[in-house]
Amino acid sequence: NCAGSTAHVTSTGQTMLRYLVLLALAAYASALDDVECCSLEDRHEMSAIWEKVWSAEFVGRRVQVAKAIFHDLLEHIPEATSLFTRVHVEDFDSPEFTAHCVRVVSGLDNLISLLEDPDTLKEQLHHLAEQHKARGGITKAHFTAIGHSFERVLPQVASCFNAEAWGRCFRGIATGISEPLPV
Amino acid sequence: SRQLTASVSHKIGMEKVIIVLLGLVALASADCGALDRLKVKTEWAQVYGTSHQRVEFGQKVFKGLFAKDAKAVELFKRVNGNNIYSSAFKAHASRVLGGLDMCISLLDDEATLNAELAHLNKQHKERGIDAAYFTEFGEVLMDVIPDWLDHSFDKDAWSACYKVIADGIVG
Repeated sequence: NCAGSTAHVTSTGQTMLRYLVLLALAAYASALDDVECCSLEDRHEMSAIWEKVWSAEFVGRRVQVAKAIFHDLLEHIPEATSLFTRVHVEDFDSPEFTAHCVRVVSGLDNLISLLEDPDTLKEQLHHLAEQHKARGGITKAHFTAIGHSFERVLPQVASCFNAEAWGRCFRGIATGISEPLPV
Repeated sequence: SRQLTASVSHKIGMEKVIIVLLGLVALASADCGALDRLKVKTEWAQVYGTSHQRVEFGQKVFKGLFAKDAKAVELFKRVNGNNIYSSAFKAHASRVLGGLDMCISLLDDEATLNAELAHLNKQHKERGIDAAYFTEFGEVLMDVIPDWLDHSFDKDAWSACYKVIADGIVG
């Protein structure tokens, strides 16, 4: 979130100037939304972390990572289990749940590949937002929760995990997808 | 290969030679066998594996599809098919390729592949897309992929394995 940097700037400068800077920053932040809080350098970090996790040819690694993330998510938010009955969450090893896991990590892979093309990224975030809204029952809090699951799981599989860069970019992505969802 | 066959037959006998030959015939007929799948995955990873070229690759595929069949543009009205350079269309192209990537990566996991194909079948049925478009899309894909590979392209393996995926989506 960009709020921190806004507060920092307001502590310097004179009242009028401060006011103008604040207004400008507020306009800037709302025009660019939270994805912009993940800097170009953060994006490169996120891509590099993801490249270590991803396997281009075989899904074995993607599936294991995704299952670990869902396991962590449901352990922390057991009530979210009901959101995934359609994809047979009761049996993590079923082809349906495995395919669901592949779709989720492939969706994230797609978003990460679009980090270099912010306009297209925004379109894709909007598309995913509509998809998640249509499912019903999914909240902004669920996206915060799965973000925490990623942060607990990925360091176990990717070395040199940059939690801050990943966190900024992931929050930007999650904010975009959960934009139309209830709190 | 005659020499190889002779030496093999000398060592392990005629029956085994026949089994080996039958195996080779099966591979040559390009039925998207286990080895075809591995090759397709390897070649696809070269094309799709590095993220920066994905959108460009997708645009090229759709450019080819629309050149082949102008009517196809109609299907993509919702995602601004009239302008393949727009963000809406680029995002769409990235989704299509993402779906293809999932299927190709799952070629060696039949059960999960079938679950994913069933999912894609449902998505495409809702949109009412004619099976003929999948054939055209495959033809364009076969045209474009070799341009992104730095060495040989196994068209037989690709055609056979693409058919497995397209048939699964069309249902």
